[in-house]
Amino acid sequence: MSDKTADDAAVATPPGVTVVIVDDHDVIRVGVRESLEDDIEVVGEARDVESAIEVILEAKPQVVILDVHLPGGTGGGALDVLAEILTGTDAPRVLALSVSDAAEDVVATVRAGARGYVTKSISGPDLSDAVRRVAGGDAVFSPRLAGFVLDAFGAAGGEVAAIDDDLDKLTAREQEVMRLIARGYTYREVAAKLFISIKTVETHVGKVLRKLQLSNRHELAHWAAQRRIV
Amino acid sequence: MGLALLAIAGVLIANRSGADGLAPWIIPSIVFALGLALVWSPLDRVTLEDARRPKLSGLFERDAWARLALGLAMGIGALWWFATWEFTMDPVQRAIIVPLVVLGALALVLAPWWLRLIRQVGVERQERVREFERAEIAAHLHDSVLQTLTLIRAKADDPDAVTRLARAQERDLRAYLYQDRRTEEESVATALALAVNAVEDAQGIIVDVVSVGDAPTDERLWAAVKAAGEATSNAARHGIGPVSVYAELTAHTYEIFVRDSGPGFDPNTVPSDRLGIKQSIIGRVARQGGAAFVQSAPGERTEVSISVPREVRS
Repeated sequence: MSDKTADDAAVATPPGVTVVIVDDHDVIRVGVRESLEDDIEVVGEARDVESAIEVILEAKPQVVILDVHLPGGTGGGALDVLAEILTGTDAPRVLALSVSDAAEDVVATVRAGARGYVTKSISGPDLSDAVRRVAGGDAVFSPRLAGFVLDAFGAAGGEVAAIDDDLDKLTAREQEVMRLIARGYTYREVAAKLFISIKTVETHVGKVLRKLQLSNRHELAHWAAQRRIV
Repeated sequence: MGLALLAIAGVLIANRSGADGLAPWIIPSIVFALGLALVWSPLDRVTLEDARRPKLSGLFERDAWARLALGLAMGIGALWWFATWEFTMDPVQRAIIVPLVVLGALALVLAPWWLRLIRQVGVERQERVREFERAEIAAHLHDSVLQTLTLIRAKADDPDAVTRLARAQERDLRAYLYQDRRTEEESVATALALAVNAVEDAQGIIVDVVSVGDAPTDERLWAAVKAAGEATSNAARHGIGPVSVYAELTAHTYEIFVRDSGPGFDPNTVPSDRLGIKQSIIGRVARQGGAAFVQSAPGERTEVSISVPREVRS
């Protein structure tokens, strides 16, 4: 997946993205900082809920790379941080980073406001790409997150939304896009395969993200409840 | 202490207003209440720090013993007085009421101690369970993670071996931590994951598996899983990683897509005597009424799509 080309990423990239890295493991923080490409500037780091909130409100980064499991706060980890920092108009955008593939972690974090979810096994260029994409206002869906979305919205059971705004189902087009992402296609490859523009792919993914955050589907509520948020 | 002061104040008021005007049981009741407070008071302190782990050693300091003895003495004294008090002339009534009241009062004095004891037993049992779990986890980590780390250190100059070991260990630990264990027969998603893991181990590449939907593995699904394993193995041998495997199970079909990251080939130039794709992928699913396609071109990624119809349940 590392062959995403510059033009793929450059679509909505503001030059020089500022980030804050939040992770309780020093090794991971160092690793993430080292693997980010040069145009991404690390303006702060934090290792628990309290220091994360403080650093983020102080440094006002464009993007926060946030570990899902963090010590401190009320025990909700990333959810505690998200609740504090996602207020106001200049709130940073959040890319969640985790070693966990558990559905409840992924879904709870996205529903709490993260605009993307990647696992820690992601390569340096891919992570940089994800950061730029989130900074540009787009959603970042890993194949696994796309799989969860298809599962959660009953795509395998043949449920299709009749109207665009149905929050509990995906439209046929959205399902197609999610399936291709789950199959390992980059946004550019999805666009080429479906004969649509990258911008359109981004729009579909953005809509799916919105549905994921706002829907009351039983599966989503259940996964979210396991992490005690709704 | 507050309770004791209150009681003393009560006694003083009672004296002032003249003992004659009051019922004779007032003073013994106050004495009993004081005794109760004294017996209970050491318990306050032990639970002060942590209600779930009372510091029982604190109970047996001299001060606590003194309070306990004094409180018990006062309680028993009050009860003694009550037992000898002739509040009614009917001996039958007295024979019933006096033992009941005395027993009730003693229970009241000792109840918190008794409850504390029960809770203490519960806490100790919980601690033993926790200790046991910790030992289990430690044993597992030792057998898996520590061993692997030792192996990795020994093979530090062989990056392929290190990658493979790390990946295999990661998968093992992930399964231990996050997955509810299901067998290959119960879950086709598990069967696929295991088939792909075997390829990962053998070929030393990274494969991401995403499954949507799940069901018990029947014969057709097995064929698809085996074909997918073969396709993954091909991708690992001829393509470059990472490889993505996506499986989707609906009511009617089971589809699996295996996709590498290049460099691609021209499917028409593969000699017809090469049996890999033809026999073990296309042939295998065709026998189950399914189909498989290979899509590739030089310089592109290769994708193998496999689909089998599901058995119709009657």
